[in-house]
Amino acid sequence: MSQTITTLNVLLPLLYLTSFTVYLYDFFKEQKAVGNVNRIILFITIIVHVSYLLALTVEYDHPPITTKFEIFSIIACSIAFSYFILELLTDIRGTGAFIILFSVVFQVISSIFIGPNYKVPEVLRNRLLGLHVISALLGYSGIIISAVYGVLFWLLYRNLKENKFGLIFNRLPSLEILEKLSFYAAVIGFILLTLAIVIGIIWLPKAFPDFSYFDPKLTGTLFVWLVYGVGITSKWIANLYGKKFIIFSLIGFVVAIASLIVTNSLARTFHSFY
Amino acid sequence: MNLIGISINHRTSSLELREALHLNRDEIVSLIPRLKEQIFSEGVVISTCNRTEILGFPQTEGLGVNSIIGSLLQAKPIDGIKPEHFTRFFSCGAVKHLFSVASGIDSMVIGDSQILGQVKEAFEISEDLDFAGSISRRIFDTAIKVGKRSIKETTIGEGAVTVSYASVQVVEKIFANLEKKSALVIGAGESGELAAIHLRDKGVGKITISNRTIERAETLADKVHGEIVPFQFLKEHLHNFDIIISATSSNELIIHADEIKTAMKKRKGTPVVLMDIAVPRDIDPDVRKIDNVFYHDMDSLKIIVDQNMQKRKEQIPLVEKIVMEELVGFFNWYNTLDVVPTIKSIRSFFEEIRLDELEKIKNKVSDEDFTKIEDMTRRMVGRLLHNPTVKLRGFAESGANIKEVLTNTLILKELFNLDDFPTNGKSDSEENHNSEGNDEKK
Repeated sequence: MSQTITTLNVLLPLLYLTSFTVYLYDFFKEQKAVGNVNRIILFITIIVHVSYLLALTVEYDHPPITTKFEIFSIIACSIAFSYFILELLTDIRGTGAFIILFSVVFQVISSIFIGPNYKVPEVLRNRLLGLHVISALLGYSGIIISAVYGVLFWLLYRNLKENKFGLIFNRLPSLEILEKLSFYAAVIGFILLTLAIVIGIIWLPKAFPDFSYFDPKLTGTLFVWLVYGVGITSKWIANLYGKKFIIFSLIGFVVAIASLIVTNSLARTFHSFY
Repeated sequence: MNLIGISINHRTSSLELREALHLNRDEIVSLIPRLKEQIFSEGVVISTCNRTEILGFPQTEGLGVNSIIGSLLQAKPIDGIKPEHFTRFFSCGAVKHLFSVASGIDSMVIGDSQILGQVKEAFEISEDLDFAGSISRRIFDTAIKVGKRSIKETTIGEGAVTVSYASVQVVEKIFANLEKKSALVIGAGESGELAAIHLRDKGVGKITISNRTIERAETLADKVHGEIVPFQFLKEHLHNFDIIISATSSNELIIHADEIKTAMKKRKGTPVVLMDIAVPRDIDPDVRKIDNVFYHDMDSLKIIVDQNMQKRKEQIPLVEKIVMEELVGFFNWYNTLDVVPTIKSIRSFFEEIRLDELEKIKNKVSDEDFTKIEDMTRRMVGRLLHNPTVKLRGFAESGANIKEVLTNTLILKELFNLDDFPTNGKSDSEENHNSEGNDEKK
């Protein structure tokens, strides 16, 4: 099993790189010959990645959420998986390279630094924790994807305003579609983040005696949740169009990243397991 | 091959001359019997706004292209036309030209999507008037195949190459679902009409026309199943439209930035696309500074047109490759037609010997024996010629390697000295064409 894990650990960055390269090639060249090749390679990558995560769980007897690099691998997988579902639902393929790039970065870092981890605190073997962490990570993946589409929206918007009709104009879908993709990704991210927060609030006080509602990670996540909540509600109620919603999405992304950096690196929290 | 043809097109003549020589369907229908009577055994007349072409197989040798030009000018007499306005094509060159025309690379707008349908229609007229034979049918089938392959295998027909269509392409980069959008076209002239038609074809939900002369607005609105807004009330309705295309001949601005600002407030910031395809401009270019207002004029749309045109030009070598592949394929088939007369010649040659020998013994044997000998020799000749006939026919039917076919027919002709025998050559064409057609069916 350990040999399989090592092999998959080497194979995964290569598969993500291949996916990224094929999507990038398709973006620049738009060759009919590429057809479904990019989608098939991504699908294979996701299957291999899920197998890898299962292998880690079986081998180490806990879900792979106990170290930064295990979590990085899950983020890479959830970004790829979320994008894959979005592509299947919308059949918009021109944006894959921009999203898969994040999976490549997370998986490469994970593969380089990850190590065997047999001994973990008992609390990390809890199933509710697994659900809490996975929903939070999928939520953050939604936020990342929403931000990527937000940036693409912004690029196309500027290109259209400035009469630039190059690659961005030719290969990206319409502004309305980019906005929709960004919005849907944000909504999915928001729902999963809500789930993570709810599970956390139910389970954390029982699991950790020093639990505090003013914990930096909890307040940081709540703040991110609020930004997206306001953005999504405004879009529904005030019919917030395109650029204004995209600004919300990008602000939310910046807040989320800042919150993660601060709470994981600078602040002291019970919420740190590694 | 004795196919000949003439062409007057955008490369050889002015628009005025091309327009003057343009033949509508009725004129083509009345010209073909004259061509059939005087010049061609089979042929075709293609006439579009950018080209008039006549191609065909002359009835007799020595008929030059000047007689074709003469017939055309007889049907459509115009002043100022000179021989140098016509390009002439012969044999392989004529077939290659037709394939290039069908592929769209010979069109004024490279990759023109209409020309393939026009070529097809021209041949259908010839077929209806019994002016098409098996060779010309094969040529046109291949030409249509060239056109289809060019569209499928290359991007020769992709991207907007007119300003009106480019404006619709930009609209599609802003809105996803045009069915839910409403468009206003200001000006019911040629450009306005073209833009309105493109919008209708793209499925824009609601099209409204506004024009100083209300009758013209009504006519265009009928054409695109739209509505009209009286020109004097135009500014009060600006906020109702997601897409505004202006194409009037006004010398002054029709829409000012302040009016768009007001409209945007009423629209609560939902985006609007303003396309100014008029010269001089109809819309104040300052509108581009307003958030969610996408303004494009002729200059910016021309960038798209030029880019797409360049992309299409880059596809020409790929299309030329398709033309060459199909040209080679066609001539491979065409050259196998030599096989049919060779088979006929060799059969005649053997039959003649058989009859000659029978004649010699006719009076030396009884009638009963003669009948037996006659049957036997017939069977013998049949068996002797069975393999070579089947083999050669096989080559003809499968369109096999031309070198092999030519070598085999040449050896046969040389060995049996078949050049002196009848049915040897394609110029006595109709019979042979038909027999080839029959062979193919077998």
